[in-house]
Amino acid sequence: MAAIEVSGLTKRYGDVVANEDLTFDVREGEIFGYLGPNGSGKSTTIRQLLGFHAPTEGTATVLGADVRDEAALQSVKDRIGFLPGEPAFDGSVTGAEFLDYHARLKGDPRREELLGLFTPPLDRKIREYSTGNKQMLGIVQAFMHDPDLVVMDEPTSGLDPLKQEAFNRFLRGERDDGKTVFFSSHVLGEVRRVCDRVGIIRQGRLITVENVEELLQRGGKRIRVHTDTPLRAADLDLDGIVEFETEGREVQFTFTGDYDVLFDELTTHHVIDVEIEEPPIEEVFLHFYGDEYGT
Amino acid sequence: MGLDTTRYEARRRIRGSVALTSILAAFAVLVVYLYPSIAESSADIDALIQAFPESVRQGLGIEAYSSIEGFVAAELYQFLWILLLGLYMAYTAGGAFAGDIESKRLYLVLATPISRARLLVEKTLALLTPLVVLNLVLPLVVFGTTILIDYPIDPAYLLAVHAVSIPYHLVCLGIGQVLSIAFSRGNTAQLGGIAIIFLLFLLDSVTAGTDYEWLGRVSPTRYVDPTEVLLEETIRIGDAVFLLAVALLLLFASLLVFQSRDV
Repeated sequence: MAAIEVSGLTKRYGDVVANEDLTFDVREGEIFGYLGPNGSGKSTTIRQLLGFHAPTEGTATVLGADVRDEAALQSVKDRIGFLPGEPAFDGSVTGAEFLDYHARLKGDPRREELLGLFTPPLDRKIREYSTGNKQMLGIVQAFMHDPDLVVMDEPTSGLDPLKQEAFNRFLRGERDDGKTVFFSSHVLGEVRRVCDRVGIIRQGRLITVENVEELLQRGGKRIRVHTDTPLRAADLDLDGIVEFETEGREVQFTFTGDYDVLFDELTTHHVIDVEIEEPPIEEVFLHFYGDEYGT
Repeated sequence: MGLDTTRYEARRRIRGSVALTSILAAFAVLVVYLYPSIAESSADIDALIQAFPESVRQGLGIEAYSSIEGFVAAELYQFLWILLLGLYMAYTAGGAFAGDIESKRLYLVLATPISRARLLVEKTLALLTPLVVLNLVLPLVVFGTTILIDYPIDPAYLLAVHAVSIPYHLVCLGIGQVLSIAFSRGNTAQLGGIAIIFLLFLLDSVTAGTDYEWLGRVSPTRYVDPTEVLLEETIRIGDAVFLLAVALLLLFASLLVFQSRDV
C-alpha cells in the first residue's frame, strides 16, 4: 500500500489554481522529494494532505485515510509527523514546555534520542530562538512520537550546513528503518542527496515523477576537455551536447548523449586533460523548467 | 488525553489574568474607599442624578449614590465590569484563533491527533482563565473593602451580580470567538469584537427610555443589570439563562465555521 496516494487533487483559491489535477503516490519506506520553485504549490499540497485545507476536486489518502474525512485522518495522525515550512511557535513558552505539550498530544518515546542530534536551547523561551533553533525544535517534535510517515515543508531551511548534513544522514537512517518521508524543497541539491524519488511541481502542475538517478541521467554530465589545439563547436557536432563554451584551449559542455560516440570523436583530437563531473543540479532543473525557471 | 490544550493555553494566560485582576482589584478598593466621603457630604447627589436624562442613568446604571450598593453598582460594576471587561473578553477571544491562523501556529497542533472540535472547545475553556480569576478574587476584595469602611454590602447580592454577569461575559467572548474564526487576521477580529460590543452597549443606552427601547434588545447589555441586582435586589434568572443560551449558540456557530474552513 502506498503511504500517500494523491489522485486528481485540485485546489483553487478564487481564481488562483494552486494545485491542478495532481496524481502521484509515495511508497512506503521511501524518501520522496517534492520539488518546485517558491510559489509552485508545494505547501498547498501539504496543507491538503494534513487536512488543513479541503481539496476543491480530487482527493488523497494518507496512510489509508481520506483527507476529506476528518475523523479518518485524525485516527492516523498519531502515526504522522509534520514539520511546517518556517514553523511558527508561541514565543512565550520554553522549548521544553512546548515539547511537553506535544508529548501529551501524541507521545514522545524518541525525544531524548532526537535531542542528542538536534539541540535547540530547551530552557529558553521560543521567542529568543534563531531560525535554525526553531527548525530543530520543529524537527524534534515531528519525529519524537516515532511516526510511520513524516511530512515536511522545506525541512533544512535555516539549518547550517553541518546540521543539514546531520539531518540528511538522519533521514536516510529513518528510511532504512522503514519510515516514509515526504518533503518539499526548492533546492535540487538537497533532494538529490537524500531522495529516492522526486516529483517536480511547477505552477501547480506535476511535471514528472522519477527516480533520482534517472533525473540525474537526464541532466547528463558536465564535461571539460583540454586539447592541444582549440576545439570549436563544429569539431564536436554530436547529439546531446548543450551549453558549449570555449575558454582558450579548454571547452566545457553538458553531455547527455552516448559516451562511446563522444570518446570516439575525442580520440581524433589530441586530448591533454579531461574532466567528467555531475552537472550543477540547478542545470538539471533548467531542463524541466526551461526559461521560466525561478519565475 | 485530558484537557491538555486547555491547561497549556490557560497557563499562558494566567499571568495576564493575574495582572488584570490586580489592576481591577486596586481600582475597586479605590472606588469603595471614596464612598464614605460621598455618603457623608451634604450635597444631595441623588437629586442631581435624578435630573440626568433617562438614557444616561440607564446607560451608566446610575440610580442612587445614597447607598453603597447604588454607588458600587454604578461606579464599579456597570462601567468597569460590564463594559470594559466585556470589551476585554471580546478582544481576547478575537485574538485566540485569528492570531494562530494568521501566524500558522495552528498547524503544529492540528497535525496531532486532536479534532478541530476538541481544539476549539479546549481553547475556549482556556479563554475563561481571566474570568475565573476575576470572579474568585473581586467579590472578596469588594466585600472586604466595604467592611473596612463600615458600609458592608450584602454579600449574597454581590455574588449574584457576579453570577449573572458570567453569561454576559460568555456572550462577549462568543462574539469575539466567531469573529476570530471567521477572519484570518488577528487585528480584524479583535477590533471588530471591541467595536461590536461597544456599539451594542451604545444602542442599548441611547434607546433606553425612548420609543425605540426595543432596539436595545439585540444588545447583551440589556440582559444584565448590576444596579438592579444590588440596589433593587432583583435577579432576573430568565435573562441570565437567555444569555447563556446565546453564548452556547455562538460557540456552536464558531464550531461550524471552524469545521468547514481552510485554516
